[in-house]
Amino acid sequence: MRYRVEHVSTFAYAGQVDLASHMVHLLPRPLPYQTVIADALIADPAAGRQSDALDHFGNRVSWLFLDVPHPQFSVTLRAEVEVEFPAPPDADRTPAWERVATARAGGADSWQAAEFCFQSPMVAADRDVAAYVAQSFPAGRRVLVGVVDLLARIRKDFRFQSGVTTIATPVSKVFAQKAGVCQDFSHMMISGLRSLGIPARYVSGYIRTKPPPGQQRRRGADQSHAWVSVWCGPEFGWIDVDPTNNLIVRDEHVVLGWGRDYGDLSPVRGVILGGGRHSLSVSVDLEAV
Amino acid sequence: MVDGKRGLRPHWRQVLGTFSALGEGGLAEKAQRLNAAFDDDGVGGILQSPNRQAWRCDPLPLPIVASEFAALTEGLAQRAELMEAILADVYGKQTLLAEGHLPPAMVFANDRFVRACHTNRPRHPGHRFIDFYAADLIRGPDGQWQVVADRTIGAAGIAYALENRDVLAREVPEVFRGVQMRPLRPFFEVWQTALIQLGQERARVARFQQAQFQSQSQLQFAGLVAPPAAGPGIAMLTGGTRNRHWFEHMMLARELSCALVEGGDLTVRGGVVFLKTLKGLQRVDVLVNRMDPRHLDPLELESGRAGGVTGLMDASRSSSIHISNDPGAGMAEAPALAAWLPSLAMTLLGEPLKVGSVPTLWLGDPASRDLAMGDLGRWQIRSATNRHTDAMNVPAMAPQARTELLRDIAERPWRYAAVARMAPSVVPCIEDGRMEPRPVLLRVYLVFDGQTWHAMDGGLARVVESGARSEGKVSSGDRVAKDVWVLLDDGGTMHAVPQPPTPPVAIKRTTADLPSRVADNMFWLGRYVERLEGSARLVRATLARLSRSDIMPHEMVELAALSRSLAKARLIPAESVAVAGSVSALMSALLGSLRESATNPGSIADLVGEVAHLTDMVRDRLTGDMYAAYTGALRGISQHARRVHGQAEGIASVMTEIMRFSASFAGLAAENMVRGGGWLFLELGRRMERAVAVCTQVGYALEQPPSRVEAALKLVLELCDSLITYRTRYLTVLQPAPVLDLVLADEGNPRGLAFQLLAIANLLEQIAGPGDPVLSNVVSEIADDVQFMVQRVADAPDQAVAAAALPEVLHRHAAAIADLSDRVTRHYFALLPATQTFGTGEETPPLRGAA
Repeated sequence: MRYRVEHVSTFAYAGQVDLASHMVHLLPRPLPYQTVIADALIADPAAGRQSDALDHFGNRVSWLFLDVPHPQFSVTLRAEVEVEFPAPPDADRTPAWERVATARAGGADSWQAAEFCFQSPMVAADRDVAAYVAQSFPAGRRVLVGVVDLLARIRKDFRFQSGVTTIATPVSKVFAQKAGVCQDFSHMMISGLRSLGIPARYVSGYIRTKPPPGQQRRRGADQSHAWVSVWCGPEFGWIDVDPTNNLIVRDEHVVLGWGRDYGDLSPVRGVILGGGRHSLSVSVDLEAV
Repeated sequence: MVDGKRGLRPHWRQVLGTFSALGEGGLAEKAQRLNAAFDDDGVGGILQSPNRQAWRCDPLPLPIVASEFAALTEGLAQRAELMEAILADVYGKQTLLAEGHLPPAMVFANDRFVRACHTNRPRHPGHRFIDFYAADLIRGPDGQWQVVADRTIGAAGIAYALENRDVLAREVPEVFRGVQMRPLRPFFEVWQTALIQLGQERARVARFQQAQFQSQSQLQFAGLVAPPAAGPGIAMLTGGTRNRHWFEHMMLARELSCALVEGGDLTVRGGVVFLKTLKGLQRVDVLVNRMDPRHLDPLELESGRAGGVTGLMDASRSSSIHISNDPGAGMAEAPALAAWLPSLAMTLLGEPLKVGSVPTLWLGDPASRDLAMGDLGRWQIRSATNRHTDAMNVPAMAPQARTELLRDIAERPWRYAAVARMAPSVVPCIEDGRMEPRPVLLRVYLVFDGQTWHAMDGGLARVVESGARSEGKVSSGDRVAKDVWVLLDDGGTMHAVPQPPTPPVAIKRTTADLPSRVADNMFWLGRYVERLEGSARLVRATLARLSRSDIMPHEMVELAALSRSLAKARLIPAESVAVAGSVSALMSALLGSLRESATNPGSIADLVGEVAHLTDMVRDRLTGDMYAAYTGALRGISQHARRVHGQAEGIASVMTEIMRFSASFAGLAAENMVRGGGWLFLELGRRMERAVAVCTQVGYALEQPPSRVEAALKLVLELCDSLITYRTRYLTVLQPAPVLDLVLADEGNPRGLAFQLLAIANLLEQIAGPGDPVLSNVVSEIADDVQFMVQRVADAPDQAVAAAALPEVLHRHAAAIADLSDRVTRHYFALLPATQTFGTGEETPPLRGAA
């Protein structure tokens, strides 16, 4: 599938901002199954200095430094991406989850996955979540079979509801209120899998949305999306699953990058000098071409 | 102290001999002399507070023979190099992880592993993770030194070691007689030279980057940059005066001749780090970090209270600055790492580890876990990665805590390490005038000069409480330190460190590179000292009137004026302003003005505290004599003020002490400080404060019906300390015009307004240079108006009536001068609006998310 993405973040300040520095995770990550055909990062006003690099996880990161006074700042990603995840393996052929959970000890082919089985700043270990997730992983069950079972249970037991959580809402609270959005479900699922020792990482990106029946597509009404990538052992590698939509990722998702949790790839992080109160408006548009 | 056969080690004999000769009384006296000396040096801060206690040094040193010390430091140099190799791998290719030499948990579950420091790109050839290393050691039962902790992030205590040696040499010089030991100072010379070399390398990159940035039509930026300095810019970053190691940072910055800065003093433009100085931005090429590295850059690391420097990591990646040590270096301090050091030494350096660690097990390894859990009496449990948590003695824990710990070890064993319980060998220490055996922990410091590691020939030994965890933190409070002497072996010779050639330094007469923050602190120090003195004068004048048994009507007039001034200065609450007939309320308010309280935020205690705090902040700009004089006086005032209970004489004597302090402050500053830089701002602050005070107090005094003006005039002369001058000029005739001329218009009266205004104008001109007359013009306008105002009173048919009309004008001038002070602050000092961080999850709006 080929997509055109436009993601605009606009910060409006109460007063002039004298100096601003931003760390931006917006450029899509090239992958064996995702070709970035074209992309551009546009800052307004333009940055006096821009640095680009790959972060610790291999994601593309940019730093924008502004030193002209400005009352408003916007940063826009425009990209065209071709994406086609490989077909998922036969779940019954994947290894037993206990074997996957040995990744924590490292080893030539799983030491990199090991990074994703420890706690991280936004994904704390929680005994209730661990017990909930463990129900999908009785002894000896194949890892992907367990994951698919877990996806269905999350879909059934949790309600998608905007506005009841912030990015700082802890996993334990999401679990208690049984409601949240994609970031919350992802963090919760990751927390539970890691408690079992199964490496799980947080993926940031976009998903194709369909307009309500009988309505026109509205430009800019899409949202950032988040899902989970689960380590299924050296033979099968990472498999991306979407707990919000109860599915294995194929061709409706565009990947920006991954990390331990949201904090590793906050789309726009910033430190400003002056400016007073600020407000942020975000517009995302994902169009199949 | 004793060898394996319970015999006294020979080098102790000499040292102990000197001390034994002193006898019990002599030992106690030496200890007391040392304590007093440390207090005078202000090692623990000027005013004692619960979190800053006195620093104590045992008069009895810890002697180590040079040959033994050389073997030890050779081993530590190897360890430092091993740390560097581990860090370079972990923050680069990570082959240690890929090949299984180190388990993933040691890196990925280590919150000192700074992901922002990891890159596969090549770094600047001069990049290093550590060029400063320290180790905490104990001598085991076999006499061998063993490492308790490796310190790869600026370990504290080195300045205390220096201070110990200096104070000991000064206070008890007799103990040094006949002892040949290595000096400490060459170490700092090596260190400073190394920093200069690093700076020269980085300056090339930084100059290029700065030029590139400036050429991008950044004309506005170009105007902010100060003319380039002769040498590389070297700065030491501290968490600030509230940091418990402030004293150390200040001493160290002075030894290394580098600027001592806080996060707010630095700004990053175009990928280059600059220090904000009075004359503009000055490039920093090397940053010696003494802040928690996890908060160094709020943009990509954790944002902490201390602020950090936004963009510092970007500058570091671009190689325009060298950060010593690298912000990621803290991961090597993980306690469990000791378990792999012997094998890592073979893998990375191809040689066995020369100085071993106290036996350490990582519980993530099943065999090690069984070993430790099977014999918990022999092992202490601690965090595998976090050095800052205490070791736990499991058998001694409360049952519930123990159960929880054991459960967590079972669930997440990789989070724990077991360290062998070890009793450090004991050495004699002086306690209550006697020698007592106490266990000690030794910290040794090493610095890398670009080629090899050099150790400081000495160190910091700390007496540890028996039973306490063996790896303590150096704080200016909790324990007693010992000087460490590296004794020359028989026949040994002193090797002088070759002096590196220093290029001739350009002659400078000004200190334009004064950091803005220092100027700011000087300015406020001047203002607060003057405010303290003015307050003392007001309180004393009020007391003198209150203590008379019968208060005359004209004294009631004066009291009313005085209490308005006292309330304005917030020394007393507004409701205590004297009303006719009731003076007891004023008396008790005066007593209250000594102490801190919510109703009088301008209390003497608050002012003394503020002066002490500011003195501490500018300490690195004051001579030792000045500092000692100030701190002694401030301590005395603060203690006396606390002891006063209700007697007017008590209060009066504190006020006299304050005035004496203020006079000596001014005298010492005038005689010891070079005219320029900090002195200009100290003086400016003082003059501005006094100008405002004269306007305000004369204004309040004159707020009388014309018939009572005479009483007011006397008060005016008293508050401006001008009675004697007036009497010599005019004898006893008290008239408005001559009085006002003396206190307002006479440019020769150092207590008068005109004198202050003239001084302010001169100071502003010196600070700004002749090209920027805006601020000094404001001053001349006020000065002209004051002359005119006094002339008008002299010319008036009834001077009393004319004088009674002045208060309004005077209060307006007071406001104008206060406004000028604000403008100076805005114009010269780093005006630092609070930075805001977003996108980190701390203050984000509710999530919407895509379904």
